[in-house]
Amino acid sequence: MPLLDAQTLSKLKGVKVRARAVVDGVLSGQHKSPHQGQSVEFAEHKEYAPGDELKHLDWKAYGKFDKFYVKRFEHETNLRAMMVVDTSGSMAYGSGALTKLDVAKVLAATLSHLLVRQQDAAGVCLVTGGTVREIPPRAAATHLAVVLDALEAAEAKGSTDLATVADQLAEKLPRRALVCLFSDFFDDRADALQRLLALRARKHDVAVFHLVDPAELTFPFDDPTLFLSLEDDQRIEVNPREIKESYLEEFGRFLDETKQACTAADVDYERVRTDEPLDRVVLRFLARRAGGGRP
Amino acid sequence: MTFAHPWMLLGLLGALIPVLVHLFDRRRPRQVPFGALSFVLRSQKRTASRLKLKRLLLYTLRTLLLLAVPLALARPEWAESGVARAVRGAAATVIIVDTSLAMRWSDGASLFDEARKQARAAVQDLMPEEPASIMPCGHGTVSVAPLNFDRARLISSLGELKPSYELADVNRCLDQAAAAMNESALANRRIVLISAFTQGALRLEASPPVSTGPKGEKIKPEVVLRDVTAGRALPNRALVDVRAEPAPQVGPRAWQFAWTVRNFSDAEARDVELVLKVDGEAVSKGFVDLAPHGTAQKVMTYQFTKGGSMLVEGQLTADGLAEDDTRALVLAVPKELKALIVNGAPSPQKFRDEAFFVEAALSSTGSPVRAIVRDADAAWREEFGAYDVVLLLNVEAPSSEVGGRLVNFVQQGGGLFFSMGDRVEPDAWNSVLGPVLPRKLRVMKTAVEPSAADAATRAARLQNVVSTHPIWAPFTGRAREGLLSTRFYRYMLFESEAGQDVEVIGAMDDGAPAFLTARKGRGRVFAFASSVNRDWCDAPIRTAFLPTIQRVAGWLSGTLDEHEQIRARVGEWVTLPLEQGMVPTAFRDPNGTEMAMTRAADGSAVTGGPLLMPGRYQVTLTTGPSLGFASTIDPAASDTSRWSADELAAWFGEDVVKTAGLGGPSAKTPLWTWLLVLGVLLFFLEGTLLRR
Repeated sequence: MPLLDAQTLSKLKGVKVRARAVVDGVLSGQHKSPHQGQSVEFAEHKEYAPGDELKHLDWKAYGKFDKFYVKRFEHETNLRAMMVVDTSGSMAYGSGALTKLDVAKVLAATLSHLLVRQQDAAGVCLVTGGTVREIPPRAAATHLAVVLDALEAAEAKGSTDLATVADQLAEKLPRRALVCLFSDFFDDRADALQRLLALRARKHDVAVFHLVDPAELTFPFDDPTLFLSLEDDQRIEVNPREIKESYLEEFGRFLDETKQACTAADVDYERVRTDEPLDRVVLRFLARRAGGGRP
Repeated sequence: MTFAHPWMLLGLLGALIPVLVHLFDRRRPRQVPFGALSFVLRSQKRTASRLKLKRLLLYTLRTLLLLAVPLALARPEWAESGVARAVRGAAATVIIVDTSLAMRWSDGASLFDEARKQARAAVQDLMPEEPASIMPCGHGTVSVAPLNFDRARLISSLGELKPSYELADVNRCLDQAAAAMNESALANRRIVLISAFTQGALRLEASPPVSTGPKGEKIKPEVVLRDVTAGRALPNRALVDVRAEPAPQVGPRAWQFAWTVRNFSDAEARDVELVLKVDGEAVSKGFVDLAPHGTAQKVMTYQFTKGGSMLVEGQLTADGLAEDDTRALVLAVPKELKALIVNGAPSPQKFRDEAFFVEAALSSTGSPVRAIVRDADAAWREEFGAYDVVLLLNVEAPSSEVGGRLVNFVQQGGGLFFSMGDRVEPDAWNSVLGPVLPRKLRVMKTAVEPSAADAATRAARLQNVVSTHPIWAPFTGRAREGLLSTRFYRYMLFESEAGQDVEVIGAMDDGAPAFLTARKGRGRVFAFASSVNRDWCDAPIRTAFLPTIQRVAGWLSGTLDEHEQIRARVGEWVTLPLEQGMVPTAFRDPNGTEMAMTRAADGSAVTGGPLLMPGRYQVTLTTGPSLGFASTIDPAASDTSRWSADELAAWFGEDVVKTAGLGGPSAKTPLWTWLLVLGVLLFFLEGTLLRR
């Protein structure tokens, strides 16, 4: 089963197309009909009473019992999902075909697509610095286009201030919602992650997609290099060979601490390498959620 | 410190390279936008101090590496001028100066002069509180002067040191030096050995010196080696032996000299000139080729014009060690002998004439004898004193007056020969010549008639021949077999009385004496029990006859004894036998300096020595010519093969041995190998640091 790797996705233009490709990949990966994703399921029969929808009359039961029965369906609770995408400058980094922001957009779009497809509400929240641009979650199919357009237009710039964003999200999401965070979590503030995870305490279902570039994991630099900041004017000249060991140690610790914090806060944590197939990431996420029992 | 290649030190400027690189290397780093910059910054801060130290270490290592390599290529050596101070604290010191023959080796300046300089330097290196002594090391017993602090006396004593002509026993000197320091209260002991370190002088199979401390503990003294050769090889060739033999085939008084020449160097020597000198005059010249460490023999022949004691020398073209290029021997060349042959049975037929074979033997080529033949009547009128030897061949007993003159002739030193025959009447001979006969004659015995058919097998033969007697010395091997196969048909029997100074030097197979010798007064007598023509035996036609008669004549006149050379080596004592009446007056060395001598209680010998130098020694006598002999150098002393510094260090012990001296590699500590090792180590460390 060919999975959609970053190289392939990079050849597809636009978030919509990429998201569609990932959705198809996800659905074909489940080996299920795309129409089985209905959220309305038959529950029981009840005798017809005036006011009941005639379209729900069970004519087969009438033929069998000579009584009018109406099918009763149990609708799933409508899910409100908010895709929170970090669009700070550091998300623009990409050593391979896709930047971290590209990957975040595709993943957010894919999930939105899947949610709307099953008549859940999906919205998007683009955060940079301390500002939040929000598109509230809705279940309408037409709303999906709005979400995808917003993602399409998002650009990486500015600094990272996830702590402020966490406060604003807490205000903007008064009802229980699924909050998917797409970020590299490069925030200088030590409490930023904790405040984001505090959304879980407000009964929100929080899933973290930690985006990591392969170059950040391996630090594959040799010659003396002038590293430029993507969020401000900061620049550092170092001999990468001299600090590689220390860097890898620091970065590994950061990844571990982030994951541990999420686990401790009962938050789904998904580390995403920007060079891995994204449908696999989505499938992995869905499988974990199905196993976890949360909506 | 000295440098073999000082221009290599220019390479030290290379040490500036790291500084210059640091100052002028302005390469633009590659610019990379990077998301996780905060981690880079954190890592940089975390490793900054360690990196700073690492850079400093790298810079230092690279600078040291760039310093070590040119320094090593310049081959520095550390000359230890104050080696004597290497021991911690004061040390009792004995300075041994090798005086062996090899120290005379010279290529302009002799090794012994260098040894004096080194000894002076060693004295000057001593600390004021160090007692010291100087010990000349030769072959003989040497007493070590008590250790003292008088530096002026030590230095002045150096002027008295002289090299010897012997092989020094350095092992014994080391042991004596170590023993001499046993009395010292100082715990530290030091031996300064100034030598050429030839392999003959120092035996490494022996034990190194050990001294005894104040509490009886064993102390291994520090040994400072001062090599006077400055590490050079000492090429040398020497005349190590000469064998002199008469060469009668060439002529009277002709001698053959076989010289043995040895090459002690690693290089081949071609056309080395060898000159034969007689009494200082060059008489012959030859050339020899010598392989490396090879030996060659050169035979030279010379016919002396006169007899007497001759100084014969072989002389090679001089090399670094000229003393062993000359070898001498004192040769007693037989003087011309005058012999009176008294023919008792003349015959017109020569082969039947009694004197024919004897005259032929004495007059042959190479014979030093001038023989005059007379019949008995004529002979008795001769003045016997005018002859050295008188030979009575089958003569009737002379008158008592003639007999008395013959007895007197023998008593005065003449030689008398008797041979038997039909005309010899035992009783008459006994009565007239009894005083000079070895034994009285008894009767003639016939073993077999010469005309008998089986005469050849029944004839008597010689059985016991005293081969140690000078007369029979040449009769060895086939010559001896020829002598023993002589057939005797008739021979005279002698009385069996034992006489003093009578010796039977040959006997028949029945035990009857065939040859008898005796000393009578100052003269000698030789009796032959058979005839010297073919009437009684076939001796005259035997090959042994000619040399026998010639040697008998020589023995009777005393010249045969003089041919026996006295072989003496430098350093030895020598004893010379004295004839009756010989009284020595002086024993002189080759320079003419009188030496101490000891005369045996019975006056039969004189002893002198030790012989300090090679050359001709002479013992003058109250009467007659002086006695002479030559002393020669021990060939082992000429061997200039040297021990290497490593071998010496291994034997003495790396922990105690030190080297010093002027200019020689062994006198210096090479540092370049250590620098190279340091360079490799630095390179390795630099690589390790770079990888970390």
